[in-house]
Amino acid sequence: MSFLAPLLLLGALGVAVPIVIHLIGRQRAKVVRFAAIDFLFATRRKTSRRLRLRERLLLVVRTLVALAIPLALAKPFTSCARPGPKLERGPQAAVLVVDDSFASGYRRDGRTVLQRAIEEAGLLLHQLGPEAEVAVVRASEGADNPGELTRDHLRVRDRLHGLEPTSRPPDLTRALARAAQLLSGSNHKRRTVFLLSALAKAGFRPGERPWGDDGPALAVIDLADKQPLPNRAVTRARVEPDPGAGSRGIAVTAEIANFAREPAQGVDVALRIAGRIVARGKLDLAPGQRTDKRFLATLPAGARAADAVIELDGDALAADDRRWLRAQLRDEIRVLLVDGDPRTVRHDDELFYLEAALRPGDRSDTGTVLTKATVDDLVGSEPAAAAAGAPATPGARGVDLDSFDVIVLANVRAMAAARVAALERWVKAGGGLLVGVGSNVDAASYERTMLPLMPQSLRDPIDIAYGAPREEMASRAVHLTKWEADHPIFAPFAKDAPGLDQASFSKIMLLGPTTQVADRKVLARFTNGAAALVEASSGDGRLMLWTSTLDRDWNDLSIHPGYLPLVQGAVRHLARRQNRTRADEVLVGHSAPLATLDLRKLEVRDPGGGGEVFDDKRLEGRTSVRYGATERPGIYRVVGTDRTGVTRDRDELDFAVNLDPRGSDLTRIEDAALPKSGSGEGHGQGQGQQRVELWHAVAAGLLLLLLLESILIQR
Amino acid sequence: MPFLDPSTIARLGALPIKARVIVEGALSGHHRAKLHGSSVEFAEHKEYSPGDEIRHIDWKAYAKVDRYYVKQFEQESQLAVYLVLDASGSMEFAGGGLRKLDYAGLSLAALAYLVIQQQDKVGLEVFGDPAVEARVPPRGRPKHLHDVLAVIDQVMTGGGRGDDSATAALERIAELSRRKRSLIVLASDLFDADDQTLAVVRRLRAQKHDVSVLHVLDPHERDFPYEGLTVFEALESEHRLLANPAAIRTQYLERMNGFLGKVRSELADGGVDYHLVTTDRPLEQTLLGVLTARTQLGPRATP
Repeated sequence: MSFLAPLLLLGALGVAVPIVIHLIGRQRAKVVRFAAIDFLFATRRKTSRRLRLRERLLLVVRTLVALAIPLALAKPFTSCARPGPKLERGPQAAVLVVDDSFASGYRRDGRTVLQRAIEEAGLLLHQLGPEAEVAVVRASEGADNPGELTRDHLRVRDRLHGLEPTSRPPDLTRALARAAQLLSGSNHKRRTVFLLSALAKAGFRPGERPWGDDGPALAVIDLADKQPLPNRAVTRARVEPDPGAGSRGIAVTAEIANFAREPAQGVDVALRIAGRIVARGKLDLAPGQRTDKRFLATLPAGARAADAVIELDGDALAADDRRWLRAQLRDEIRVLLVDGDPRTVRHDDELFYLEAALRPGDRSDTGTVLTKATVDDLVGSEPAAAAAGAPATPGARGVDLDSFDVIVLANVRAMAAARVAALERWVKAGGGLLVGVGSNVDAASYERTMLPLMPQSLRDPIDIAYGAPREEMASRAVHLTKWEADHPIFAPFAKDAPGLDQASFSKIMLLGPTTQVADRKVLARFTNGAAALVEASSGDGRLMLWTSTLDRDWNDLSIHPGYLPLVQGAVRHLARRQNRTRADEVLVGHSAPLATLDLRKLEVRDPGGGGEVFDDKRLEGRTSVRYGATERPGIYRVVGTDRTGVTRDRDELDFAVNLDPRGSDLTRIEDAALPKSGSGEGHGQGQGQQRVELWHAVAAGLLLLLLLESILIQR
Repeated sequence: MPFLDPSTIARLGALPIKARVIVEGALSGHHRAKLHGSSVEFAEHKEYSPGDEIRHIDWKAYAKVDRYYVKQFEQESQLAVYLVLDASGSMEFAGGGLRKLDYAGLSLAALAYLVIQQQDKVGLEVFGDPAVEARVPPRGRPKHLHDVLAVIDQVMTGGGRGDDSATAALERIAELSRRKRSLIVLASDLFDADDQTLAVVRRLRAQKHDVSVLHVLDPHERDFPYEGLTVFEALESEHRLLANPAAIRTQYLERMNGFLGKVRSELADGGVDYHLVTTDRPLEQTLLGVLTARTQLGPRATP
C-alpha cells in the first residue's frame, strides 16, 4: 500500500487523543461511598459489564476514527496487475476509440459490451491523469466525432456516459484514422490510441491502414477477452406477392445466419404481420451457415399493405434478431392487348376469348386492367415519334408503353424495326411480352424484324389436318402434353389436367433453330413433339411465345377449362416489372428514395417519432426525393398532402429500414491482422498496473465508525 | 411550633442535652400529661367502705355528691425498654445531612431520656462490628441514663463498622427479657437484615414484647439523585462500581421500593410498630411518631 500524501499520516498521532480522554474520563468519575450498594450490584452487574464494554468499544471506535481520518487524507492506494496497456500518468495525448455499433449491445456477463467499454474508458481516463489531453471517438459508421483533444475530463466523461449502442455497423478503420488525425494536432510526444472494442473482423476495412508508419501507438482493450461472441441474425428479408396463396397472399423469404462456431439447433423463426405472429418455423444451422426461410401468409382482410417482421428467438445481441418489411399486395396488372386481327363480329375477333379469360364476367376485381389496341396504336412508341412529341401518323392515338406491365401481340403482323426496337427496350426494362401466332404471322417477315421479341425464330405453320377426311380430322389433331408442372404458369394444373390435354390443336407454328436468347425454355409441347409454349429472358423482362392462336382459329383450347388459368397465369408471370419490390432494402444510415406522386407535401415519420417534412419547394418538379435520416431500424410512415389539400397516410410509400447485416458477424479479427502501432511514443500492449484507490473505502469505514460511535453514546 | 433541623440538633453540645432538647421539643404542648403517673395509674372510683384508707378518699367528689368515694389505683410494674442501635458500616452513610448512625443514635438517646424520666428501665444493645459491640443492661436509675447516653455517644463518635445483622442482639434481648414483657426499639437501616432478622423481630412480638422498628434511611438512598459517571464504593466491603446513575436509576428505585415494601409488609403482618424515617426528617417528629404509635397501641405500651 502506498500513499499520495504520506505526510498527512502524522495526523495519526492524534490517536492519543481519545485514549487520553478515556483515561481522564475514568479519573474524573465521582466517587460516592454508598450504603445501599447491594441494590446497585444486584441490578447493575450486567449494566456494569455493559458499561465497561461500551467504554472500551468507544475507546476502540474513537481510536480507529482518529486513525482513519489521517489515513483517508493521505490517500492510500495499492496496485494490481490487469490485462491491458501499461499506463503512465502525466502530460500526454490519448484518444479513446469506443465501438458503439449496434453489436456493442451484445450482452455478456449481465452487461453490454458498450457498458464495459465505458467502464474501461473511465478507468483509462483516471489512470492517464488530469494532465492528459483526451478525446472520445465513436467507432460506429458515420458517427459524429469531436474536432479536438481536451483536458476537460468531465466533458469527456459526460460524452462517455452518454454513449448508447447505435444502429450502425462498426467502422473501426475510419475511427482509428480519425483518432490518429486528432493526435497529429497535439504537441505531446506521447500519443496513444486506445481501441475499446470486441474487435469484430467486419469492423476493419480489409487492406486499409488507419495510419502510416509514423502514426500513434495503439493499445487494444479487447472487450470480448478473446472469447468468441456467438450470434444469430436475420441478415436479409424480402416480401413479394404470392398469387398461389390467394389474392392477399404474400411470400416472405428471410435469410438467417449463424455467426458461431457451434451449430444452432431448433432456432425459432417467426413472421409477424400487423403485430400478430402468423407463421412460425424452426431451423437448424451449421456453424457459419446462412439459410433462407420462406413463409407464405396472407395480409389482413381489407389491408393492401401491412408491416411484417421476421423474428428470431433471442440471443445475446437482440438488435439483429428482427428484420422489418413492408408487405404490399400486387397492384393491378396493366395489360395491353394488341389485336392483329380485329373483327366487327365480336366472337370472331382475335381477342374475344383472351379478353374474356382475363376479365371473366367483366368484373373489376380481377386484378387486371385491359387496354385493347391495334398495331397502328403503337405508332407513338417509336423513338422518332417520341422525340417529335407527337404520333407520326395523324389521327393515331398512340400508347405509352411504360404504362403497361404486359403486352400481348395476338396474331400481329411483323412490325417495323423501329417499333420493334421500342418494344425491345420496353421488354429489357422489365416488361413482359406474349406473342400469339395466327394467320397474320409470316415467319419470314418475323425473321426479319421481330426476332428481338421472340424467344425463338418461327418457321412455317403446319396444318395437321390438312387433306384429311372430315371424320379423321379430330383424331389427327395434336394435344398439349408434357408441360413444366413446377412452372408458375402450370402450377394450378395436375400432371394430366383434362382442361389442357383434351384441347385439340389443328394448326401450329413450328420453331426455327435455337436463338441466343438467354434462359430459353420450352414450357409445354404438343403430342407431336413440337414446342407449344416457349419462354426466355430479355434484360429485366420476359418473352413468351405461344405457337398457336389465342382464339379458336387453330385450336379449341379457349373453350376448355384450362384456358382461363393458363392465360391468367401467363400474364401474372410476365408482369415481372410490377412484381418487383418497389425499392431495394434500405439499411440504417442509407437514404431511401420516395416517389413524390405529384404531392404538395410529404412527411416522413421515423419509428422513434421524429421525421422530416418535404414541402412544396422541395418537391416541385421532382418525381422522387431521398430521405436520409434513417438512423433507426423499423417502419417509416409517409403522410402526403395532395394538390387539393387532402392529407392522408400514403401506405404505398411506407418503407422499412433495417440494420446493416455486416455488423452482425462478430467473428474476431486475428491478432496479426490488427492495425500496428506507429513509431510514435505512447502506451503499448502489455501487463498493465491498475492503481486501486483505497481512500474511498477508508472514508466509508470512517463514516461507519462515526455512526457506531454515535450509537454507542446514545446507549 | 416548627421542629429543629436534625443537623442543628447534632451541633448542640453533649448528648444528654441533645436528648433533652428533642424530648422537650417533641412534647411541648403535646400530650404533656403522659409524663405523669405512669407507674401509679388512676383506675376508678369506689364507694367508701370501712377499712379503706382515708387518704384515698376523693374529697372533691365528696364535695360534689356528698358521698365518700375512694380512688382506686392500678399499680404498674417498671417497664424495661431495650434500645437496639445499628452501628454497622452502612449506617455511616450520609448523603448530605446527618449520618444515619447519628440520626439513629439521637433518636434512641431521646427515647432513653424519656424512659428514664418516666422511671422505667432502659437498656442498650449496639451491633454491627463484633469489636465494638456494646451492651448496657436495663436500669431505672437516673444515673443510668448517663451510662446509656455515654455508650451511644461513644458509638456515634467511633462511627459505623462491620456488617453484622441485628439477629444476635435481638436474640440476646429475647433471652434477657424472657419473663418480663419489654419494649424493644430497633433503630437500623435494615440493609443487613435477612429474613432471619425479620423473623426474630416477629418472634419477639409473638412473645408479647412491644417492638418498634425505626427504619432509618438517607434521602439519597430513597431518591438516588446522582448524575454523571460515578464510582460507587461499598461501606461494608471493598466493592466498587463504576456506573452511569441515569442508566440504573429506575432499576435501583424499583429494587429499593421492593425492599421497603417487603419489610413493611412482613413487620406489619407480625404486628410490629414500623417507622420509616429519613435523616432529613425532624427528630422531634420522629419521636412523636413513635410516641403516638405507642399511645394508640395501649396505655401500657406507652414508654
